Order: sequence, then structure tokens, then C-alpha cells
Amino acid sequence: MRRIIVALVLAFVAAACGGSGDVGTVGVLPATTPDELQQLISQTEQPLVLNVWASWCIPCRSEAPLLKVAHDSFGSTVQFIGLNVRDNQTDARAFLNEFGLDGFEHLFDPSGAAQSSLGSGGVPLTFFYEPGGVLAERHFGVIDDRTLALNIDEIIRRAEN
Amino acid sequence: MEFTLLWAALAGAGGLYGALWWMGRRDTTVCVRDLWEIAITAGAVGLAVGRVVAMLRGGVNPFTHLGDLLLVRAGVDTVAATVAALLVAAWLARRDLFDQLDALAPAAVVGLAGWHAGCLFRDACLGTPSSLPWAWAQPGSDITRHPVELYAALGLLLGGWLLFRFRLRYPAAGVVAGLSLASAGLMRLATEPLRPSLLAGPVWWYAAAIAIGLGTAVVATRRGSARVGDDPTPLQ
Repeated sequence: MRRIIVALVLAFVAAACGGSGDVGTVGVLPATTPDELQQLISQTEQPLVLNVWASWCIPCRSEAPLLKVAHDSFGSTVQFIGLNVRDNQTDARAFLNEFGLDGFEHLFDPSGAAQSSLGSGGVPLTFFYEPGGVLAERHFGVIDDRTLALNIDEIIRRAEN
Repeated sequence: MEFTLLWAALAGAGGLYGALWWMGRRDTTVCVRDLWEIAITAGAVGLAVGRVVAMLRGGVNPFTHLGDLLLVRAGVDTVAATVAALLVAAWLARRDLFDQLDALAPAAVVGLAGWHAGCLFRDACLGTPSSLPWAWAQPGSDITRHPVELYAALGLLLGGWLLFRFRLRYPAAGVVAGLSLASAGLMRLATEPLRPSLLAGPVWWYAAAIAIGLGTAVVATRRGSARVGDDPTPLQ
């Protein structure tokens, strides 16, 4: 019993020391402005999922694996864009590397000005757009599997109609 | 904090307590307070375990991100939560295991119905597209969908009521608990195809719950019959 407790304590300590700051092969995130972001949204020809995140945002960590699954499943029919806000390049890149989220485009918005142009503050936020930039749904806070799947299905079907 | 989820949880707890209270008025052998404590403790432990497992599966270290534990909305592993809750309930009811679980199980099924009906607070009732007359659409959309969570809620409510009626006929100990587990698994399995999902829900586990539940009911029935058959000759 004593050995099990010691092993558990060591495992806890090892886990606690296991923080990652490795940026891996993730490149520098291109900076964006409010005008550039609005132009990107309005010119999209595919349904678009725009996720606003930051590496310091705890809820963003929780939804990151879901976004990867969503991109892996729907990346061919839906465009995914990440908007990193009020962050620094190193932490943001390490976050993307940690969760393998570098499969789609991420924009860098250190001042949060581009996010403000979307009309909403706070992170995480997820916007769902029809082609042409028509806003279909805006989800505040952590998104769950069902909600993400439902809204992706919604913008795909609206695009087909 | 995700308050809409909290309302859904309260709907589930309300359904559970309401069912226990209703059962307590019709069956004096039911101790509502004991069963309520078992259910709430098991539910809380199940939720915590399910959240930790969901974090681990998502690559989030629960020890370096303790705050994430509170983000229930970010995901709870259904299987881990259910297994943990059942084990805790079994442990707490160990002195009189099957009788207590039989009394608790129909109310737990109704509580699960309340949790599903809580989708109305979360604006999360809709599933796959449908043209049925009762299907409805998201705000601003003309794509109507199955209110799949309400299907599950109604099915579980009916199941809970039938199980309670069945329990009043004094079946062998463990039969009602087994059938309750099977009915919960069946309702989840039956509605799963109507839920949009990225992760494909744990359908094999729902099937396993049905098999285990039905198996428990069959074994309990046989054991109960054998006991009756083994009764000594009545006193002359």
C-alpha cells in the first residue's frame, strides 16, 4: 500500500512538472487588423468556423481537442480560422503545438482590436458563418461536442440550400 | 461557469427528488432522505471522475490545470462518470444493496429524464434534420430538426414510471435496478443516431449497459425463484 501511495505521489509530481513550452514546427502567426479580418470573413466561399482563443485562457484548453477533431472531420468542406487574442507569439505557438491545432490558419491579434470588430469580447468565442460571411450563430464560452457538431451541420446545410 | 448547464443539472436533481418524494408517498418502505443522499453523492463523484477522464482524454493535465475541473461544459466522459456513480451508489447502499438500488433506480431514471429535459434551458435540444410536424429550427434558421433530447426525456420519464409501478409488484431483489440500467442504456442508444456529434457517442457502452442490466434482471429473477423453491416445508 505504501509503495502504491509513493508511486501515485511521484506520478502527480511528474505530471505537474510536465508543462510544455515547445513551439515545435508551428510558424509565426500572421498579425491581422479589424479590416483584414472583416474582409476575410466576407470573402469566404465556404462555411466558416472562427474560434477566438488565447493560450492563457483555461476554457480554451478544454475545447482545443474538440476543434482539432472538428477540423479533421470537416476541414475539406468548412473553413476553420483561429483568432489568437491578447497573447504573445511564443505562448500561442506552443499552445497550437501542444494540441496539434496548426492544421488550419490562425491569426494574431495582440491588442484585441480585430476581436472587438466582431462585436464580442472575452474568450473563448466561436462564430459560425455561412459562405459570404453571413453570421449563423455565435457561441459564448466553452463549446461542447454536440453544439459544435450541430452548428457545423447547420452552416453546411445552409450553404447547400 | 456555465450557468445554463447548472440549470440542466438542477432539472435532473429536481426530477430525481420529485420522483423519490412521489415514491415515498406511495411506498412507506422507501426512505427518501437516505436514497437522496446516495444519489446526490454518487452523482457528484461520477461528475468529478467523468470530468477528470474527459480532461485526460483531451490531453489536458488535471494536476497542472486544476481550474479546468470546474469547466464541466467542456466535457464529461459519460462512461467513466456512469461507472463511478454506479460504484459509489453500490458502496453507499452495500448494507442492503439490491433493495436500496431497486428503490433508487426508477427515481434515477426520472432524474436522467430531467437532465435531458434541461436542454430547454441550454438551447440544446435539437438533433438531426427532420420534416416531422413537431420538429423545430434554431433561431434564424429554416432547417427543422428532431428535438432529440426531449424524445429521450419523455422515454425515460415513461420508463421510470413503469419501473416504479413494476416495483410495487415485489419482483425479486435486483430486477428493478437491472431493468432501470437497461432502460437508460436503451433510451440513449435509441436516440444516439439523432444526435449530431463529432466524437460518435459511446454506443457500445450503451449496448453493454443494456446487456448488463438485462443480465442482472434475469439472474436476480432466477435467484429469487430458487429462494422461493428452497423454502423449508411450512410448519404444520
